[in-house]
Amino acid sequence: MKNARTWIGGLIATLAVIILPILWYSPKPVEARDNPRANLPQRKTHVSHVDLMKGPYTTGQEVTVACLNCHPDAAKQVMKTSHWTWESEPFTVEGRPEPVTIGKINQLNNFCISAQGNQKRCATCHVGYGWEEGNAKANLTKAENVDCLVCHAQSGYAKDAYGNPAKTVNLSIAPLDQNERAPDKRVGTNLTPAAQSVAAPTRQQCGACHFNGGGGNAVKHGDLDESLYYPAAETDIHMGKYNLQCTDCHTTKDHAIKGKLVADNYTIKPAEQVACTNCHSSDLHSDKRLNAHTQAVACQTCHIPSMATKDPTKVYWDWSTSGQTDKKDDHFTYLKIKGSFEYATNVQPEYIWFNGNLSYRYLLGDKIDPNKPTYINQPAGSIKDPNAKIFPFKLHVAKQPYDTGYNYILAPITAGPDGYWTTFDWNSAFKLAEQRMGLKYSGKYSFAETLMYWPTTHMVQPKENAVQCNACHSNNGRLNWQELGYPGDPMEWGGRMANGK
Amino acid sequence: MHTLTSHRKLILLGGLVIIIGLLITLVGQVVAATTPQPTTQASQMHPAFPLLDANKQNVLTSRQPLSTNKTCGACHDTAFITTHSFHSDLGFSESKAAGQVKEGRVWDTSTGLYGKWNPLTYRYLSPDGDAHIDLTAIDWLKLNAARVVGGGPAEKAAGVEMNCFLCHFTKPNNTERVAAIQSGDFAWANTAVLLGTGIVEKSGAQYQFVPNAFDSRGELQRAFITIQDPSNANCAQCHGIVHDAPNPLTITGRDLTQWQTATTGQIVSPQKISQSGMNLSDKAKLTRAWDVHAERGLQCVDCHYALNNPILAQTNAKVQPDHILFDPRRLDISEYLQKPSHQFARGQSAQFTVAADLKGTMRRCESCHETSQTHSWLPYTQQHINKVACETCHIPQVYAPAVQSVDWTVLTAKGEPVMEWRGVEGNSNSLNDLITGYAPVLMPRKTIDGKTTIAPYNLVTAWYWMYDSQDGARPVCLEDLKTIYFEKVFSGCSKLARIRSIEDLKGTFTEAEAYRADIVQALDTNGDKTLVAAELKLDTPAKVAAIADRLRALGLSNPRLASEVQPYSINHNIARGDYAIRECAACHSNNSRLTQSISLATGGPANVSSQFVKDANTKTDGVIAKDGSTLRYSPSPENIYIFGHNRVSWIDWFGVIAVLGVLIGVTTHGGLRFYTSLKMKNHHAPAVKQVYMYAVYERFWHWLQTFTILLLIFTGLVIHRPDMFGIFSFAYIVMMHNVLAAILVINAALSLFYHLASGEIQQFIPRPYGFFDQAILQAKFYVQGIFTHAPHPFEKTPQKKLNPLQQITYFGILNVLLPLQVITGALMWGVQSFPQISAWLGGLPFLAPFHSLVAWSFAAFIIAHVYLTTTGHDPLANIKAMMMGWDEINETMNNEAMNNADG
Repeated sequence: MKNARTWIGGLIATLAVIILPILWYSPKPVEARDNPRANLPQRKTHVSHVDLMKGPYTTGQEVTVACLNCHPDAAKQVMKTSHWTWESEPFTVEGRPEPVTIGKINQLNNFCISAQGNQKRCATCHVGYGWEEGNAKANLTKAENVDCLVCHAQSGYAKDAYGNPAKTVNLSIAPLDQNERAPDKRVGTNLTPAAQSVAAPTRQQCGACHFNGGGGNAVKHGDLDESLYYPAAETDIHMGKYNLQCTDCHTTKDHAIKGKLVADNYTIKPAEQVACTNCHSSDLHSDKRLNAHTQAVACQTCHIPSMATKDPTKVYWDWSTSGQTDKKDDHFTYLKIKGSFEYATNVQPEYIWFNGNLSYRYLLGDKIDPNKPTYINQPAGSIKDPNAKIFPFKLHVAKQPYDTGYNYILAPITAGPDGYWTTFDWNSAFKLAEQRMGLKYSGKYSFAETLMYWPTTHMVQPKENAVQCNACHSNNGRLNWQELGYPGDPMEWGGRMANGK
Repeated sequence: MHTLTSHRKLILLGGLVIIIGLLITLVGQVVAATTPQPTTQASQMHPAFPLLDANKQNVLTSRQPLSTNKTCGACHDTAFITTHSFHSDLGFSESKAAGQVKEGRVWDTSTGLYGKWNPLTYRYLSPDGDAHIDLTAIDWLKLNAARVVGGGPAEKAAGVEMNCFLCHFTKPNNTERVAAIQSGDFAWANTAVLLGTGIVEKSGAQYQFVPNAFDSRGELQRAFITIQDPSNANCAQCHGIVHDAPNPLTITGRDLTQWQTATTGQIVSPQKISQSGMNLSDKAKLTRAWDVHAERGLQCVDCHYALNNPILAQTNAKVQPDHILFDPRRLDISEYLQKPSHQFARGQSAQFTVAADLKGTMRRCESCHETSQTHSWLPYTQQHINKVACETCHIPQVYAPAVQSVDWTVLTAKGEPVMEWRGVEGNSNSLNDLITGYAPVLMPRKTIDGKTTIAPYNLVTAWYWMYDSQDGARPVCLEDLKTIYFEKVFSGCSKLARIRSIEDLKGTFTEAEAYRADIVQALDTNGDKTLVAAELKLDTPAKVAAIADRLRALGLSNPRLASEVQPYSINHNIARGDYAIRECAACHSNNSRLTQSISLATGGPANVSSQFVKDANTKTDGVIAKDGSTLRYSPSPENIYIFGHNRVSWIDWFGVIAVLGVLIGVTTHGGLRFYTSLKMKNHHAPAVKQVYMYAVYERFWHWLQTFTILLLIFTGLVIHRPDMFGIFSFAYIVMMHNVLAAILVINAALSLFYHLASGEIQQFIPRPYGFFDQAILQAKFYVQGIFTHAPHPFEKTPQKKLNPLQQITYFGILNVLLPLQVITGALMWGVQSFPQISAWLGGLPFLAPFHSLVAWSFAAFIIAHVYLTTTGHDPLANIKAMMMGWDEINETMNNEAMNNADG
């Protein structure tokens, strides 16, 4: 026994003398610069609701009541979110006497202009039921009006007028499974199976509204469209290659979803915003020079070389040409009710300094100078702002109506029997708006150019596609250094930090 | 009434006058609005200047062609610039008589474009005094207009001054400049280059200066002064394809006017290859840029800078004393601007004998890049960097068509040579052809500092007819060649002064010309009375003879075929590390990248062998040979030993036979022992006693050595034949082998110390007295006694563990084999740290095979050694003893053995 032990001990010692030096000289595994996966939230195990939601349900509200039996706080939580209120929290802004809120409920953009102009259709993307013109106060206080299904039903559900469940499933709004596209299944929304299908929201549910912002696929955002339902890796590395869901980044607690849009918020606290650095380290490039860029350049700037890589996005909208009868309707160029458009694919974003907030948001009644383009929103930041980075935006240009008497932008009522889309009479549309929204109309209107910035942050491409040095640091590069405030190309002149500024 | 009418008339007239006046104003404004506007952004620094003609008069008043020498010479020393510029000179000032150019062809008169023949362009500048003239200086200028900037020979022959604007204006009009030269409008060529800038207009054939581009003093207005450092686009006009624009790059290539691209496939563009518009195989994976330096914003002139540019100039390392790191005494910027040298820094690539004095003036890769850190993953980094040019790994593939061969021994119906291109499939010469790219061939390049590095090249093979003119050997001039091939009558080469049009000079026909009947008859292989592309080759001696006869009939003496291979160095299109060759197996394998052959041609005439040109600085020690119908060049770099690729076959055969022989021997021996032991079943085992044979340290060093040697043999085998052990990482195995070798040496040293200090060393030293008798006794035992279970002649004891045969064997191994293996191994390991010592001993090509030979011997010895351990009392006794220390020895024999040992 002792012999055997000595022998084993000796063997181990002998081998150790060989193995240890080899291990010492073995190439050390390169430590990964970051492990973004580790920062992803744990997805909850799905609980089938087939046996929990027996039904039958005839109205959406009945489903909600059933949900609230087990999730009593859910409706209260939802009703605090902007998905429900359509309104930001109040911001105190310099130059404005009262705190202001921004949202679909009270403000406008330079697409369809105002949600109140078409409450019937716009409410299709409200997380509630039965929000008809003018009844916001009554509607927004009722818990049973919260629409659980719009986010949670995995199949067989779509919304229609005033946010009520669709009688017939509208294929253009909710993508359905192949077998549900069969004609015999398209008889209407059957709430019971829809209620039984509930689960954590996926790209299908978020996308139904967010991919169709502005009233159609890819209209509003250049970086969110239906190509993200089943994206290829080169369309979006996160959702394509790694099959991330929206809620993996837009993490949710008590139905409050992280991430805010700068179009509708004056200031956004960093904690409320989703950032690349939530998962990725900010100095993960192997080249020091690239890491130095992160002081002044947002990740998106290099990693989203172009927007709308698959589906064209709207870049220009001219309301002034609407109502013409001699033009043929075409989704991408002209609609009688809306005017003329321009769509574009592979759009190179606009690059400006951006610290995450707005320096200005056009609010109803703000005076404009019709001779100059009016910024609906103006991202905040400059070369002197240490928190600002050069950030990519989609710039949407529009010609929209304004009141030549009051010099402010008008918001027409478009839908309904007296709306512009029926009468093609701007005056009646503005008068109707005066009644409904209280926006006085002088009786004279014209069209003015407006600009609206939309941040480009989704559709991050594989790193191989990231823009390289020459994209900006060359004679015909993407960035206009002088406009950004640099004396010249910082590759030659030094960056803003290098100059001690 | 009358007055009223006249009143009306007056009003009408007045109205008419006003309307006409308005109209005139309007037209005037429209005209003013359509006057040319500057097309690009003006340069910020350059002062305004007038355009002067050759008499220093403002061209606005003189209406004479502008003179760049006078215009730019007002401030810059144009005489200095012209004389300090190979771009201008092109070998002109160093012209020699035909045959005097070192290592040149018989008809070469310089090392530059002016006088050095290139088979791709074929026509040659006739040496002075030749009876038959192919190209006069004027012809040469017209034909090479697209590659000649003016000055030097162009100024001498035709007064074409060096064209400053071609390289220093943002958007020069090179097409118009070339057209002017080709049409013989030499005087206006330097004016023509400004067409389209808003400064010059053309009406009919007349160039005119646009007054609106000038101010009241007759100087160019600021907006029209677009003077700049030469951009990549400026260089591209003559040198090859450069693409800076964001739109996808599309080229069909195969265009000799894009010289660098045509001869090598190099394209300078920051664009990702995958985003180009080319029909490239595997395009989606090529997410690298065409050229990483372009992608990183470098300009051609950043590396190829003016040699006296005070910012970039380098001090000559040969004269810089060691204690000075930087010499700030430089040209003042104003001195530089007055006399900027137009000699540009250049590398030392093979094909260009041009500007030989400037070789190596450029900063090369290692001047800007620190390599040791980025290449730390690469074993023997310095050795690799010394022997292998950066381009070899960083240009793994070239992604555009490049010339492969040109055959001037036949002419197509359009008067062109038969050309082959590599890196492309299909002949449509459109974007539909699939571009496959090609892997450059690797050749040893002799650098000016005497080193040899392996670098990538394209090889272009050419065939042509030569004859002996009264002035010496010359290529058959193109007109003579056409005369024998076509029905059409050509003037032939003669000394007659004549002005030839560019069409004549180019020699190609717009329409297919008819071949002479005798040519059709000679070449028509399929008998259909016409010549198709496949028949255009002199692939039989009969066809060669037929053409030679016709050339002879034309009065050309001794017409004969000639062929040359020109290497074209590839130095651009660098890929960054992620896309470079990183796999060890690319070179350390049977199909080593270093010896990968390259096709030279599939066509070409019979009866002529191709030779490399003599003036390239490549070593051409490979073989040009036919592989089927394809002519290939297979490099076989001398004096290079690549582990895993090179091996000496007789050594491996010897080793295998030795190992197998020993194996067979011991198997036979063991089998016989087994057989005899069966026969003598009732052989009774002798009484034994336990003896402590091996001390702990003895056992430890033995087994440590065992494991290291076994692992060394194994890892050595993997390094020797990586293709048989693909699952192992070559680099890791190399590291293991080195570490194991270090352990072995340390272990051997410590054990030597132990044996010396303890006196145990005596055991290993054969005693001369009676040694042979004892050895014979022991040998006899192995061939006889062992089968009869005779006692061991020399029983093992702690005092004498080794029998005489063991002693002599170990003596040999420890004193000969082991030291040899350690020394050769250490020298191989040291090739990058102390290469001189290795070099004295023949370098790797000698050391490595020798190391293999000894390794084989070790392997054979180990087999015998292990077998012989089984010859104890029972087969495992000795091994057990070496493991546990205790051995059983024959009690009865003990004393005798000890006596023997003592005796």
